[in-house]
Amino acid sequence: MNSANKIFVLVVLTLIPVFAQDYLENQMVKGNGLYSRGEYFDAITEMKRLLYFDKEKEYTYEANKLIGECYKAGAKFTEAINYFSKAEQSAGSPEEIYNCRISIIRINILRRTNLRASVLLDAIEKDSRYSDKKEDINYWRGWNYIFSDEWDNASLQFAKITPDHLLKKLCDSIDDCQYSVTKAKLLSYFIPGAGQFYTGNYVSGLLSLGWNILWGYTTITAFSANRIFDGIMVGDLLWFRFYNGNNQNAEKFTEEKNTAISNGALNYLQNEYNGEKP
Amino acid sequence: MKNILYLIFILLLFQNYSYTQETDLYSLGNRRLFADFLYCQKDYLRAADEYKEILRLSDSDTLHLKIGLSYLKSGSLDSASVYFGHVKINSLLYDYSRQAYYKCQFLLNHFDIVELGPYYYNPVDKLYKFSSLLGYKELPVNKEKFLRPFEADERRAAFDFYDRKLNPPYKNELTAAVLAALIPGAGKIYTQNYTDGIFAFLATGLMSYISYTDFNAHHQFRGWLFAGLASFFYGGNIYGSIASVQIYNAGINFKLNSDMKFYLEDKNYFVPDYEFCK
Repeated sequence: MNSANKIFVLVVLTLIPVFAQDYLENQMVKGNGLYSRGEYFDAITEMKRLLYFDKEKEYTYEANKLIGECYKAGAKFTEAINYFSKAEQSAGSPEEIYNCRISIIRINILRRTNLRASVLLDAIEKDSRYSDKKEDINYWRGWNYIFSDEWDNASLQFAKITPDHLLKKLCDSIDDCQYSVTKAKLLSYFIPGAGQFYTGNYVSGLLSLGWNILWGYTTITAFSANRIFDGIMVGDLLWFRFYNGNNQNAEKFTEEKNTAISNGALNYLQNEYNGEKP
Repeated sequence: MKNILYLIFILLLFQNYSYTQETDLYSLGNRRLFADFLYCQKDYLRAADEYKEILRLSDSDTLHLKIGLSYLKSGSLDSASVYFGHVKINSLLYDYSRQAYYKCQFLLNHFDIVELGPYYYNPVDKLYKFSSLLGYKELPVNKEKFLRPFEADERRAAFDFYDRKLNPPYKNELTAAVLAALIPGAGKIYTQNYTDGIFAFLATGLMSYISYTDFNAHHQFRGWLFAGLASFFYGGNIYGSIASVQIYNAGINFKLNSDMKFYLEDKNYFVPDYEFCK
């Protein structure tokens, strides 16, 4: 065999494994392309195709992770967690395991299964392999508090990263804006309608005050005139009902106001915040 | 020697060619394997898409049936009907696809089409009988005629539904109104609404008693006030009893319909699953 022939045969031989690798790699590239173009349904199909034909399981981690991302983008959170879990099982390094777990935590934050996210964050924090990930863990713990509507705790978590963290400032400002449910209820206990005034619901506050004065007066005059039965009936069926309703109203208005403030903040974070989000 | 080298080269080329063929993920064979895999994984919409891609290149009744089944399982009943309707009359799958087609029509509430279905398909006849039970068609007066298509193990349930449909244990509005007029609350107790009945009795009784004592004590205003309230509760108790009968009777219908729905789902609408997953 002359040298030209030898080279030719060698070239042909080296081509074989290249072909074998190429079709899977191409499939992975195709899936990534579909994902980046927002064609999540097709991306999932191509990744499932890759998983089905990848007999050596070379792309199990990448494909499952990408399917998880696609399902997440399509708000199919349960399916996304399922595929991130599969990716975690086939992960080849602690870094890959960490990425999958964080992805699962982020979905739990998004779908507001905050207790589950907290448990997973605790577990990952205790894992000695991830001792260098404290900042990242605190960051997601902060987001978990944001989605649990605990802006003060969220602020504390972001402060652990840097005292002047942008999200810490935001959480502080939201926490300052929020109304205290306890304060609103206490005000209503002492002066009916005051809780509603505190949350800016002046008409409701005035109505509540008026009803309580009317039925309070009627009850007291009934007792003063020894009309005990009338006093009990009016006091129990009318005054107590309006007094109790006033307290419940104060609590309801405060929660509504706080929800509106939180939703506004989340809306701002979604549209204006450029850092990583769940 | 040179010839041997050429031979090896050609063999390698063929091997290479065959390898790329085998790894063509979009070949008909591989698409078919992948589509079956998706179907068996219950990813029906993707399975349907894959089968349709194969169908563009190679027409077959099996594919039409599988696409129909995929759409049926994913709840796209109109599309499923179209593909079941494409299975050719001389195909071995024709009978099954016709039954599946009528199942789709039943689920789509197209009872007129079910009615026109061929009665030599026993499941279609059963479905038609159920459409009369569901109130969309006239219920046959002849019980034996109604039960004829059902197997021995199905007859008991079919008879029970037939009997409940023909003689529903409805309550009578007039009876409830008369009972409520005689004894406040009795109309509600008649419809097994015990708490409301007791409350109506107590409220009417209490208001009447207070009115009576007020009149006795020459408190005219309060006497009339509580007499008005007593009348209000008394009238409300009669009106509420009639409403309670209507709710009770609606509940009877709802229970019968939901029981039939669960039964039909349990029986897979009398059309057995076409199983090709191992």
